[in-house]
Amino acid sequence: MLDFLLRVFGRETSSSKNVAKERLRLVLVHDRADMSPQLLQELKEDLIKVISNYMEIDENALEVNLDTSDNSVALVANIPIIRMKRSSNRAEKIG
Amino acid sequence: MGEVIVITSGKGGVGKTTTTANIGTALAALGYKVVLVDTDIGLRNLDVVLGLENRIVYDIVDVTHGHCRMKQALIKDKRFEGLHLLPAAQTKDKTAVTPDQMKELCRDLKKEFDYVIIDCPAGIEQGFKNAIAGAEKAVVVTTPEVSAVRDADRIIGLLEAAELHDPKLIVNRIRPLMVKKGDMMSIEDIIDILAIDLLGVVPEDEMIVVTTNKGEPAVLDNNSRAGQAYRNMARRITGEDVPLMDLQDDTGFINRLKKLIGFK
Amino acid sequence: MLKKAKGSKSKKLLVKKETEVLIPDEMGEKVTDPDSVEIESRIEFVEEAAPMPVEKAAASLARNRDPWQQNFADENTILIKRTVRSGQCIQFDGSVVVLGDVNPGSEIIASGNIVVMGALRGVVHAGATGNEEATVAAFKLQPTQLRIANHITRAPDGEYLAPDYPEIARIKDGVVVIEVYQLGQDRQTKIC
Repeated sequence: MLDFLLRVFGRETSSSKNVAKERLRLVLVHDRADMSPQLLQELKEDLIKVISNYMEIDENALEVNLDTSDNSVALVANIPIIRMKRSSNRAEKIG
Repeated sequence: MGEVIVITSGKGGVGKTTTTANIGTALAALGYKVVLVDTDIGLRNLDVVLGLENRIVYDIVDVTHGHCRMKQALIKDKRFEGLHLLPAAQTKDKTAVTPDQMKELCRDLKKEFDYVIIDCPAGIEQGFKNAIAGAEKAVVVTTPEVSAVRDADRIIGLLEAAELHDPKLIVNRIRPLMVKKGDMMSIEDIIDILAIDLLGVVPEDEMIVVTTNKGEPAVLDNNSRAGQAYRNMARRITGEDVPLMDLQDDTGFINRLKKLIGFK
Repeated sequence: MLKKAKGSKSKKLLVKKETEVLIPDEMGEKVTDPDSVEIESRIEFVEEAAPMPVEKAAASLARNRDPWQQNFADENTILIKRTVRSGQCIQFDGSVVVLGDVNPGSEIIASGNIVVMGALRGVVHAGATGNEEATVAAFKLQPTQLRIANHITRAPDGEYLAPDYPEIARIKDGVVVIEVYQLGQDRQTKIC
C-alpha cells in the first residue's frame, strides 16, 4: 500500500500505467457495486425488520438504492416514518 | 478421473483460444491424455489454431443431440497421440447446446481423459454459461489493458456466483519494456486489482502469429518465449512448482514476480 | 393473313403478334389490311426492340417439349448469387451453383452436383444422399474438406500451391480424384 501511495504521489505519477490502474480501480468499484435485485430486496427486508423495532415505517414507500456517483458508492435509503415508538419493544415488531 | 478446466476471459481477443491450444498441447507433450473442447458455437477457431480444420466431420452439437457417438466426433491431433479436439459447430448458434448437456458431456469426457480443457467464447451469455457448466476449475485470461482487466473482474465475479471458486489468472501479451517504463500495467498491478492467484505470464511474442498461421501451437517451438511460458503453465497445472520465467534482466522485478507466484 | 405471316421470318411473325395485341385500339380496322400491318409491324419492331428477346424466349420455353432437353430436367438446381460466408450452410436436395466464393467455415450440402464459379474454400458435400456420380467443380478448388457420397477427402497437410485453373472432383474407381476441368463434350454432359 505504501508502495502504491509512493508511486501515486511520487515521480511516476504521470506514467500511463498508473492512470490506467486508477481508472480501473474506480470503474471496478462501480461494477462490483452492481447488486442483484434479489440481494437488494433481502437487504430491504432486513432493514425493515430492524428499524421496525424502534419506529413504525411506511414499508411501501421504502426506497433502498445504491448510488454511484463520480468517485464513491453509497447506500441510499429513504424511509418514511409514520410514528416513533416509546420503547424498543421487540415483541411489537411488524413482520 | 480427469479434471475439467475452463479457459475464459470475458473480453474477446485476449488469447483464450491460443492459450487453450498451447496448454493442451503442452499437457499432451508431457504424456497426459487431453481433450480440448471448443464451445464457441458459430465462431469456432480452435480447430484452425491446431491445424485440424480439415478433419472435422461431426461436432459438439452432433454429439449432444445424439447424431453421432463421442468417439466419432473426437479428432486426433496429428502430432500428439494423447491430444484430441471436440470441435464446435460452425453453422449453428449458441442455443444449440444447453448447460445440462455440457455437464453430461464433461462427465463422459473426464472418464476418458486426464484433462478436459474447455475453450470458452467471449461474452457472458449462453455460450459462457455452457462453457462453465461442467467445469471444476477455471482459468481467467487477461491482457494488461483496462478493458480486459475490467472484463476479467466481471468474469471472476460470475465464476464465483457459479460456485467455481479460486480461479487462476493468466496475464497474456505483457511487454516487459513497457512495464519497466511505466507505460503498461505490471503483473503486480493487475493482481492487486483482481486479487486472484497467478497461473502464468505470457510475454508478447510475434512468433504466436507465425505459429497460428501454420496451425502449430507455439509450445512446439523451443525458441518461442510464449511457448516456454505455456509449457511452464502446463506443468503448474499438473501440480509441479515451476518458477516464473525471466521476462527481462531486471532481477528486482523478477523477484517480486516470484514472490507473487509463491502460493503453491 | 396467317398464311402470309407463316411465309415470313419468325422474327416478323412475333412482331406481328405484338402489333395485333397492341395496335387494335389505336389503329382500328387498319390492322386487317395485310400491307399496312406489314408497315406497322416494322415500325413497332424498332420501337419495341427491348422486350422482344424475352417475349420470344418465353414463348419458345412454353412450347418446348424437346425430349433430348427433358433429360436434363430431372434434377433441381439452385443458383446462389453471393459469397457463402463462414457459418452459413446451404443444404439443398439437388444441385447447387454458386456465383461467388465459398469461404472457410461455410458448408454446402447437396444431393446433386456442386459448381462454384469462384474459390471454393469451405466444406462441400456433393451427392449427399449417396449419389456417387456427383461432382464438385470450382474455379479454385481448395476445400477445407470435400465429400462425395460416403467418401471424405481433405487437402494434404503442410503447404501446397493451389493451381489457378478450374478443377473438378469426382469418384473414380472408388476414390475421389481431382482433375483439371477441361472443356469437352463428354465432360460437359457429365457436369450438366
